[in-house]
Amino acid sequence: MTMTTAIEVRGLRKDFPVREKGILGPRTLKRAVDGLDLDIPRGRVTGLLGLNGAGKTTTIKILATLLRPSAGTVRIDGLDAVADARAVRRRINLIAGGERMVYTRMTGRENLWYFGQLYDVPKADLRRRTGELLDLVGLSGAADTMVERYSRGMTQRLAIARGLVNRPDYLLLDEPTLGLDAPIARDLRRVVADLAAHDGTGVLLTSHYLAEVEELCGHVYVISAGRHLAQGSPAELKAATGSHRTVRLTVTDPTERTRAAADAFGATRETLPDGGELITLRHPGDMAGPLTAAVFEAGGSIGGLEIAEASLEDAILTLAERGEAGLAGPGSGRPDATTIRPGAATAPPEAATAPPEAATVPPGAGTAPSEAAAAGVKGGTP
Amino acid sequence: MNPLRHSLRVFAAETLKQHRRLFGQPLVVFSMLVWPVLQLATTYYTLRPVATASRAAENWPLAADPDRLLAFLATGTLAYAFFFSLVQSAWHLSFERTTGTLELLFLSPAGRLTLMIANGAGALLQNAWLLTCFTVAALTGFGTLSVSAWWMYGIVLLALLIPAVAWGAFLNSLLVFSRDSAFLYTILDEPLWFVSGVRLPHFALPAAVQVVGAVFPLTGSLLAVRGALLEHRTASELAPTLLGLGALSALLLVAAALILRVGEARARRTGALSLV
Repeated sequence: MTMTTAIEVRGLRKDFPVREKGILGPRTLKRAVDGLDLDIPRGRVTGLLGLNGAGKTTTIKILATLLRPSAGTVRIDGLDAVADARAVRRRINLIAGGERMVYTRMTGRENLWYFGQLYDVPKADLRRRTGELLDLVGLSGAADTMVERYSRGMTQRLAIARGLVNRPDYLLLDEPTLGLDAPIARDLRRVVADLAAHDGTGVLLTSHYLAEVEELCGHVYVISAGRHLAQGSPAELKAATGSHRTVRLTVTDPTERTRAAADAFGATRETLPDGGELITLRHPGDMAGPLTAAVFEAGGSIGGLEIAEASLEDAILTLAERGEAGLAGPGSGRPDATTIRPGAATAPPEAATAPPEAATVPPGAGTAPSEAAAAGVKGGTP
Repeated sequence: MNPLRHSLRVFAAETLKQHRRLFGQPLVVFSMLVWPVLQLATTYYTLRPVATASRAAENWPLAADPDRLLAFLATGTLAYAFFFSLVQSAWHLSFERTTGTLELLFLSPAGRLTLMIANGAGALLQNAWLLTCFTVAALTGFGTLSVSAWWMYGIVLLALLIPAVAWGAFLNSLLVFSRDSAFLYTILDEPLWFVSGVRLPHFALPAAVQVVGAVFPLTGSLLAVRGALLEHRTASELAPTLLGLGALSALLLVAAALILRVGEARARRTGALSLV
């Protein structure tokens, strides 16, 4: 057997026994995770995404040894998560979002000391580590205050410090910023990124804040109903699902020519109460410049321009919908999963090419919109 | 990594936790001393008119002497405090199911049985020391102690501590995997008091109750404590009782380990922290 420094999950399955009707009803099995393969290397933040009930938390609890897989294997640095559970527990830790699982009648410092003792962190290291962690989560000033006097946010920050007390080789984060104030959430993201980049910690992150996933994760697994749907970097996932940027252009004095220019891009038009027109174009490419230039060239006055980047959220929703409909594409060894690799991404047919007119926009036209939008100027009439 | 050192660290951690839980408010002195003493007084003044009646004294000579009756009841109250403090401690530990901290204990590499023993022992040491000091001082002051050798005090302490810690580990293990901790708390309060002979001599209880009482280590502890402190019994005279207590303690620890193993395996299979 080869020793690897990673979490390797192969063919993971988890069935929960459930009784449909009371305690004497027939027992059935409910499948929460169905044949997952994951690789979580050291030094990288790996995302695990899916809609509610996708099996993310079950997967994380299996990796944390809190649940036993029904089938498949989980190896952590070569150790089996079932047979070597106790050794595995020394190498991992889990932080759950909204978690306030600390002892309220102990101080923040005592809580960290308590959990450090459970993890057998060497004494001198524990003293130093406790100070570092309290600094890290901004609780140094309240280190010797009873937790029952903490605010919810402070308690949650202490719970995060608790998850780091044993310097885990692998950190499992289940919605870690849920309920945190924006500055604290930002600080936590920085900590997570540092842990992966500088300490070589392998991080598995689930989060409903997809901007957070996009910021942190080098690789993302998407699951639905416990099954693997797709994997790749956030950019690859967006590209592969045809996620679109949205351009919203406000024309203050629409004419037939400006409408024709917008229609040539396949944009939709909506009349505004003030007589103006909102032109909306969703496209995988950067079409803000060509569209605005075309409208400007057609004599339109640009009242405003807004560009919304393609979001990972769109990609995940698309993938989840495909998964639920059983329409996922080929790719990763599982018949219903998609592996997205650099260069392998394909956009949907309608997104693959820009409208012919756009291609004729002269160089430099892309610079006009921002200026035009800023000045609200009227374009020249040919 | 040294397993013994790790166990001692877990023990220290649990002791601090119990200290914070129990000593958060100064009123804790009521549960440590005032409440048991009130219970003792109530029992004493309830029993005394009956116990000193001539027919009662024929069957139970000790009852004829008010000081010895008080000593009998005081040892009962002390031993009961040891064991019932562990029922309370286990009940409190069961709350960790709902606060989520129990999952964190199972997430850690700390030995499960060590945690359960440490939790009980931590509570016991902090709950019982004041009443122990008070009882020993009171019995000495009344001159009712009748001890065959000084080291019998050590035997008394062990006869209380070891079965109590085993009882605590067993209860902790049972209650962390039980959704009905309140029910167990209730049935282990008054019934424990009754079947173990806290207020009445063991021989005065019906045979069926004596059989039930034999299951609880408090019964054997009381026999040993009263024999050593009040009846001038030697270690060899108490040997059968002490051996029985040792066996029962071992059985309780084995049962605790088994419950933990089965409970955790079930929790990992079903995701539910319960035995059934």
